Amino acid sequence: MTDQVSRRAFLAAAGAAGALWLAADPEQVQAALMHARKTVMLPPPYRFDALTAAQAADLEAIAMRIMPSDGTPGAKEAGVIHSMDKALATFAADLKEPVIAGLADVNQRAKAKWPGTSAFAALKPDQQDELLRDIEKTEFFGQVRFGTLVGMFQNPSYGGNQGQVGWKLIGFESHGINQPPFGYYDAEVLKGG
Amino acid sequence: MQTRPRVTYPTTTAVDFVIVGSGAAGGVIAKELSSHGHSVVVMEQGPRLDPSQFEHDEFKYHFRNGIANPAPTAWRKTDKDEAKVGDGLLLYARLVGGSSVHFTANFWRLHEKDFMERSLLGGVPGADLQDWPITYAELEPYYTKVDWEVGVSGTPGPFDPPRSRPYPLPPMPVKSSGVLFERGARKLGLHPQSSPMAILSKPFNGRNACQHCGYCMEYGCEFGAKSSSLASMIPVAEATGKCEIRPNSYVRKVELDARGRATGVTYFDAQKKEHHQRAKAVILCANGAETPRLLFNSASSRFPDGLANSSGMVGKNLMFNGGAAAMGVFEHPLNEYKSIQCTRLSHDFYDSDPKRGFYGGGGMDARFQQYPIQFALGALPADAPTWGSAYKKMLADSFSRSMTVAGHTTSLPVPTNNITLDPKAKDDWGIPALRVTYKDHPDDLKISQFLLDRQMEILEAAGAQKKWVAYPAIEQQFTAHLLGTCRMGKDPKTSVVDIDHRTHDVENLFICDGSSMVTSGRGQPTMTIMALAFRAGDRIAGLAKRGEI
Repeated sequence: MTDQVSRRAFLAAAGAAGALWLAADPEQVQAALMHARKTVMLPPPYRFDALTAAQAADLEAIAMRIMPSDGTPGAKEAGVIHSMDKALATFAADLKEPVIAGLADVNQRAKAKWPGTSAFAALKPDQQDELLRDIEKTEFFGQVRFGTLVGMFQNPSYGGNQGQVGWKLIGFESHGINQPPFGYYDAEVLKGG
Repeated sequence: MQTRPRVTYPTTTAVDFVIVGSGAAGGVIAKELSSHGHSVVVMEQGPRLDPSQFEHDEFKYHFRNGIANPAPTAWRKTDKDEAKVGDGLLLYARLVGGSSVHFTANFWRLHEKDFMERSLLGGVPGADLQDWPITYAELEPYYTKVDWEVGVSGTPGPFDPPRSRPYPLPPMPVKSSGVLFERGARKLGLHPQSSPMAILSKPFNGRNACQHCGYCMEYGCEFGAKSSSLASMIPVAEATGKCEIRPNSYVRKVELDARGRATGVTYFDAQKKEHHQRAKAVILCANGAETPRLLFNSASSRFPDGLANSSGMVGKNLMFNGGAAAMGVFEHPLNEYKSIQCTRLSHDFYDSDPKRGFYGGGGMDARFQQYPIQFALGALPADAPTWGSAYKKMLADSFSRSMTVAGHTTSLPVPTNNITLDPKAKDDWGIPALRVTYKDHPDDLKISQFLLDRQMEILEAAGAQKKWVAYPAIEQQFTAHLLGTCRMGKDPKTSVVDIDHRTHDVENLFICDGSSMVTSGRGQPTMTIMALAFRAGDRIAGLAKRGEI
């Protein structure tokens, strides 16, 4: 039944990757929300709850290749890393170890590919893309993509989508009230009578 | 909504009726019976939320089941498979008002033919297709009550069944998706029409009109403009001073006395403490999955296979409705995230046409389907990039310019598609969990694909720059429609409830919800569930008046 097609499509698209981000009770989400709100108001350097500064730098670097800052704001400006860190510290805690393990694997691959590399975050963007293409079918990448997109487009109260940069990017406005015309084609009809 | 003094009843004194479930059916029956002067307690397993508590939060409501069902459900395709929790999902809201709070609010009546497809079409191999024991004409006055008491906006379409009164409210303003759908459908010689919606286009019965905020499907309406039980029926029921809504009350068993009459229900309160509410009669409105589950969990020496299940029909013939989805992107912004989900539909292929070579029919509508996170995760065409600059640009370019054309199709009643209890999984209260066994009938997939082809043609004819299949016609592992599992019928051997919604087996036990439906319609079952509930309320009040319960 297609009233819920989007959810089915999501289940198909996100699969196991999505499920782990979601397995928790609402009270934990509430706690995470309050925490995220506080954190994003503090001046840098940020303190991370689930990740070390180095892990956060690598995770953010991946998020920035998924949603690059290429003339318009991306994962960096949206604060995706804070949304993911808070989730991993609270309602997505089950995912913390797999994510940390995934980051370690990414760093190993970086060092094997380009000897002398200190960390994935230190690679050039085109090198990062090359490495990510190698792992884009893995569950780890799927999980980071899911976390990045949620962090990019969620309500800003969760710590991501800061300044609504994700919503502005795609032309979404979260108004409480709208009036017709809503779009170009219904406006055309209204004008034409 | 103004606060009224609310009646409360002690558990130890028998009320006239205890109703299990406060959704589309339970809310209506509670309003009807309390208006007739009966004392009513409505048990609702979820909390009571004030409309001001409903949020515009996609992450919470869509991804984290903000108001929807977090209960474990085991799932398998056939009885040869092992059911696993998490392999499929039933989505229903657990709060006062039930799933009528988070539904999309498409309110299509069934057509006259829906009630007699067996007679018109003959049997279908692999299915137990039957006529309903009532006709459209018998249900029509109650559809009209839904229009006028619950609140429906619309205007009659060319394929609509006869109606005794016009819609109380004009249709909702057309959106760009509706304009484009209409344009494409007309080019193909089809007959598009306004979508009838249980959303108020103007203030009505003391309630607000829609503010076009864009949060209908899966969300609660903070304006009270969506005609849920919570917004429309429960305030009226409570104003009678005869109806208590008891939230956070999870019924685990219907109790019987030595004579085989129901004495009330055993339930857990919010602290998981057990109580027994006595009642002269019990009405189950818990939905097409929870109602059969409760009957199975109420098995006794008198009913070893489940309460009211002498026919063996409890839980059988589960139907979901089907339908695939197509998406298209257009030259100019549509901004489909504003206002309601759908404003135009086509019922040109509603009837099952033997010339197609398979059973089934359906409707199509133009709609907004995907809020930002869902859109980013999976709405782009399969050949689109999934990360990086090109992906980001595509998201930015297409979100406001895209729309969905969705199909809503028949599911055949297949006896092996059913609700049973899982032998292993339990819920948080230690009660055996639901087990779903479901495999779409081949004809269900054929009609879904047939309409998907038409959906793609409409997008093409409407001038889409690009169109793609957003969700294919494949076997379903997810649903919000739960139909057919306690079928209505005249023969106690082949049905669970009679035409008064009384169980054939227990004189003072009634069932009315999606489980009563004999066939699936073409999606959008809530209108029919509410009409059945108005009719059941009428019939049950009549039985009570004549001392026949």
